[in-house]
Amino acid sequence: MGKWFKSGTPWIWMTGGAVSLSLIAVLGLFILIGWRGLSFFWPATVYEFSMQVEDGHQSTLIGEIYDTEHVLKEQLISAGIKGLENKPDSLDRFLIKIGNREYVDLDFQWILETSIKSTTVADNIVVFERTKNGNFYGYIDGIKVNGQALDIKPNGLVRELSERLERALALRSKEDDLLSGEIGRINYELERIRLQERKLQLDGKLTDKKQLELKGQSEQLQNEYLALETELFDYREQAKRDSVVVKDMTGRLVTMPLSYILDFYQPNNMTLTQKIGHWFHQVYKFVSSDPREANTEGGVFPAIFGTVFMVMLMAVIVTPFGVIAAIYLHEYAAKNSITKFIRIAVINLAGVPSIVYGVFGLGFFVYILGGSIDQLFYPEALPAPTFGSPGVLWSALTLAILTLPVVIVSTEEGLSRIPSTLREGSLALGATKSETLWRIVIPMASPAIMTGLILAVARAAGEVAPLMLVGVVKMAPTLPLDGNFPYLHLDRKFMHLGFHIYDVGFQSPNVEAARPLVYATSFLLVTVIIGLNLAAISIRNNLREKYRSLEH
Amino acid sequence: MIDLSNLNPKGEDLASLSADNTALEIKNLNLYYGDKQALYNVSMKIPKGKVTAFIGPSGCGKSTLLRCINRMNDLVDLCKVDGNIELQGINIYDKSVDVASLRRRIGMVFQRPNPFPKSIYENVVYGLRLQGINDRRTLDEACESSLRGAALWNEVKDRLHDNAFGLSGGQQQRLVIARAIAIGPEVLLLDEPTSALDPISTLTIEELITELKQKFTVVIVTHNMQQAARVSDQTAFMYMGKLIEYSDTNTLFTTPKQKQTEDYITGRYG
Repeated sequence: MGKWFKSGTPWIWMTGGAVSLSLIAVLGLFILIGWRGLSFFWPATVYEFSMQVEDGHQSTLIGEIYDTEHVLKEQLISAGIKGLENKPDSLDRFLIKIGNREYVDLDFQWILETSIKSTTVADNIVVFERTKNGNFYGYIDGIKVNGQALDIKPNGLVRELSERLERALALRSKEDDLLSGEIGRINYELERIRLQERKLQLDGKLTDKKQLELKGQSEQLQNEYLALETELFDYREQAKRDSVVVKDMTGRLVTMPLSYILDFYQPNNMTLTQKIGHWFHQVYKFVSSDPREANTEGGVFPAIFGTVFMVMLMAVIVTPFGVIAAIYLHEYAAKNSITKFIRIAVINLAGVPSIVYGVFGLGFFVYILGGSIDQLFYPEALPAPTFGSPGVLWSALTLAILTLPVVIVSTEEGLSRIPSTLREGSLALGATKSETLWRIVIPMASPAIMTGLILAVARAAGEVAPLMLVGVVKMAPTLPLDGNFPYLHLDRKFMHLGFHIYDVGFQSPNVEAARPLVYATSFLLVTVIIGLNLAAISIRNNLREKYRSLEH
Repeated sequence: MIDLSNLNPKGEDLASLSADNTALEIKNLNLYYGDKQALYNVSMKIPKGKVTAFIGPSGCGKSTLLRCINRMNDLVDLCKVDGNIELQGINIYDKSVDVASLRRRIGMVFQRPNPFPKSIYENVVYGLRLQGINDRRTLDEACESSLRGAALWNEVKDRLHDNAFGLSGGQQQRLVIARAIAIGPEVLLLDEPTSALDPISTLTIEELITELKQKFTVVIVTHNMQQAARVSDQTAFMYMGKLIEYSDTNTLFTTPKQKQTEDYITGRYG
């Protein structure tokens, strides 16, 4: 035993064990959020339960099994549920998602296995995804055109419906394009004209002629707007033509206009391939569409865009600052106690809680800096702030300060790794110190700079607390990048995946509906961060390959 | 002894070398690293178009002296130099001297090959690019002539744009020499240029040094006495920061005047 101990084997087992534990922790986390998040998009089987409640009353429930749990009999009895005397000690309880939010009290219901009389899986149950009120479960009963029922055989209904839904969706997308495209542009232009007029007025240069000209422009835009508005209403009117009649679980017939329906499918009637296809389609919709219903439905595209955009902006800001600061500290600053003190202070900055940076960002960037910018450059918009309110630029700047120490430290490490013989070689050829820095040292330190950037991106992309003070919102009406001049709107607020998780998970009116979205969004956030890091790592590996000399 | 007249045809005494034939003159040079003195009152004249070798045991100050000549010691904190080194009558330690342009006139090759992480071509033309020369033809010509001058052209002419790290140690050292001569210096300082190389590469470099003295004044530091005897015209023996003896190579190795020199070259210490 003593010999075994001396041989060092237990030490190897201990270190190896530590590595495996860390790996298991990371993988476990990834698998948990991945599984919980991604299984949400799988078309779950929809059951029809015949229920027998204790007083003999019968009812039917149609829905997906959302969750299952074991409950002890005593617990149920003490909760006042009767008729369980000769049942096993532990019973199953199901959480059923029954949808049809506007027609039922609770769209998620717990049911006990003993109250289920029979369960059927009907092929022709249809799930409707709607723009409002979540999913609807039921059987298609008929199709109405302009209020008149269409005479179609029951087996032709699904086909007819998907054709008509396609038309409705085409009209919807036209409507959306019009709203976010042309109409958005006209509103933006009108606002610009208003601001231009106000600016001229403030400068005292608003002549009658100029005023007339602006008025003319604005009237022209108004006319364009009216024409587009007519077009828009026309689309809406057309979309109202068709509606579908659906029989819900209580047997009631519900008429839904197709303009409220986004998609419908029959999960019990799908083959595995169709289910896989449907899953991919749902995932695609999740990452590419806008959120609906207070973020509990729909996609997260604006949040992905906001996260990536803000992180990139941060990287663009932090890299030059960090690198320049590191170069000064390492190359030019005298090697004395003051430099040492500054270096320690910089390293310690990394330990300041991030919310403190948020407070600083709000106080300094938003109010002082942004406020002054508004006074100087956007007086015409006041009292409405332009840069004087939280926005994506201030968020990027705040996070840039937060990640500055990381970049400085790793750049400095990279600089000190460059062999002095190479610097001397360059100096001996008549290069000045700055020429040597530019031509030899910084290119060779670039892999280390990239390492710093990777760490900075990893830290910044996951940071939420400071952003809540300096620019993140629950729902941003527009992206910071669009087709209106100057295309890049750094003053706008933005959405962020991290904040989205918080908002959906903890601020949402419908906790049950939001839960899988929390996992899915978390998984997506991790994926985005990994993606950003992989991009940076591949750039770094390229650079390393180029400056391989450091290896020996 | 018969060769003596060949090596030093005019039979000049090194101390009374005429200004025209002097590449560098070191006058009363003292050097301190902080409180520690590393060079004591060194004075010597280095003749033009010749190979001068500094020999001596480790830590005797020969590399330090060499690095004074192109002011590489400026990079060392706490290093203080007092005395003159004159290049064509101008003291290089004068305040008005621009260090970068001085180093263009006095090139240097280091102990270990230190090519830049760039292509062979870019390594050679580095010094020219620094001077703002970007004309492709000029650079191509300079690259070829320097590589020929460093006896490397035939080995690398087909892979000029490959990374310099693909070359062998000896080739890298010749590349570094080519890089140094590409900017047309007057003096070339070689700091133990073969200490990291194998015997065959050493031989190539030694042959190259003999070639180089036709165009440049060469100053070489070596701890290999045979090498000094083979390549140099003059040899300076240094010990404990002092210049003990300086004369033409043959005299120094055959009839040293100082006891310490004799002890060293006969291998009694060092």
